[in-house]
Amino acid sequence: MLVGGAVVLASGLVLATPGVSRSGDPDSLTLAGAPAGREDPLRGFNRRSFAFNNVLDRVLIGPVARGYRRVVPAPVRRGLGNVVSNLREPATVVNAVLQGRPKVAGRATARFVGNSTVGLLGLFDVAGRSGLERQPADFGQTLGRYGVKPGPYIYLPVIGPTTVRDGVGSIVTLLGDPVSQATGGPGTDFATGRSVVRGLEARSEGDATLKAVMDESTDPYATIRSAYLQNRAALVREATGVEEALPEFDAPAPDEAPAPAAPPTDPASAQP
Amino acid sequence: MTMTPLSRRGAVVALAAGMLAPGVALGRVARNGAAEQFVLSEGQQALAVVTNRGLAPAARDAAFRALIDRLADFQRISGFVLGKYARVITPAQRQRFNAVFKGYAQRLFQTHLTGFKGNQLQITGSVVRGPTDTVVNTLVTGDPKAGPLPVAWRVLGEPGAFKAVDVQTRGVWLAITLQQDFVSTIDNAGGNVDALIARLEADGARRG
Repeated sequence: MLVGGAVVLASGLVLATPGVSRSGDPDSLTLAGAPAGREDPLRGFNRRSFAFNNVLDRVLIGPVARGYRRVVPAPVRRGLGNVVSNLREPATVVNAVLQGRPKVAGRATARFVGNSTVGLLGLFDVAGRSGLERQPADFGQTLGRYGVKPGPYIYLPVIGPTTVRDGVGSIVTLLGDPVSQATGGPGTDFATGRSVVRGLEARSEGDATLKAVMDESTDPYATIRSAYLQNRAALVREATGVEEALPEFDAPAPDEAPAPAAPPTDPASAQP
Repeated sequence: MTMTPLSRRGAVVALAAGMLAPGVALGRVARNGAAEQFVLSEGQQALAVVTNRGLAPAARDAAFRALIDRLADFQRISGFVLGKYARVITPAQRQRFNAVFKGYAQRLFQTHLTGFKGNQLQITGSVVRGPTDTVVNTLVTGDPKAGPLPVAWRVLGEPGAFKAVDVQTRGVWLAITLQQDFVSTIDNAGGNVDALIARLEADGARRG
């Protein structure tokens, strides 16, 4: 579970994938230009959670992930990562069908069958090498496909960034995952091992990215929030096919007037 | 029975062929060939420099900075990333900000391109958003350990005077993210733009 937290700490930039619109995009308000108060009404709580997770990552999760990277040979790590990714394909098939995307469902089915057989239970991503790249789908994306708005951004202790919609989606994905169902549900040792491997893989692979964000951003919290929300909006656009709405580059931001200079009042807004 | 890599590949392709529903590519009619060519040429050179392990780090940085000036419009980006504060920044603050922002953005862009882990750029299409606004879609390849990475480039201007103003991977635009980072930093300082400038100056001094 802790490892899962590490994953999502970096997830905005590490686990993300693409696509909003001139009209009809439920996620459009989460793009740049939206004032923080509108998209992040829980930012006091969120920033405290972010600071907590940073400490957790510094003292526990980061060292464990780097140790995993040092101790486990790269081919073994890659194989384990492939196995865990392969076990997510059935959930992708279900969500792609729910989203009305037969091509994605077919691709995920082919990947699962090919990698589980020819690829030796998913150890080798032979489908990817044949040009069938992984295209994941989840229930948060499915909700977005049918117009459910993301709701407020939430940064949870241990868990990391999400929104109301994607949080609900994650719970449904967890409970309804076909592989999980077939192996006794989310509370089994198998499910725990699967989560741990996935978390270790993602956190260790994202180590450089996370370091870069923490080192280069003037406000890492805002950077990770922006990246997470953009990434999720892009995933929903993949499902809807709606064109991305981009801000005009030369026009001033259409938000509320800037605040007058004054001392900061929110102690939680300080950079961790 | 053991399977060779080739027969494994064939088996997977056969499975895929049987299972994939016939898809119709929803290609856009409007493309901007000149903008695509600009990205292919300048982006390819930038990628080649950042992935050239034969160059010493200092030489690589210098070569990248020379190239990136041709590729990116830092003047426009520096206005965009200030968001709502671009309306209230004083000329003196703007001068200090522009001076420090360019080096910061160059480093960030270099880190970003290095993270692509590939050295080959392939154009997959473009979306014309307006007479002088195009998004060019590419794939970055060349790293045998990673699959092709879709990267989009936002290009403003006209043929002969194109400049990139943003780059997107995994749905995340770099300049848009930077705008939220900077605006949040200024918000946290009670709207004081000098706080951001001081932070960037300190960052620049720390890195030399």
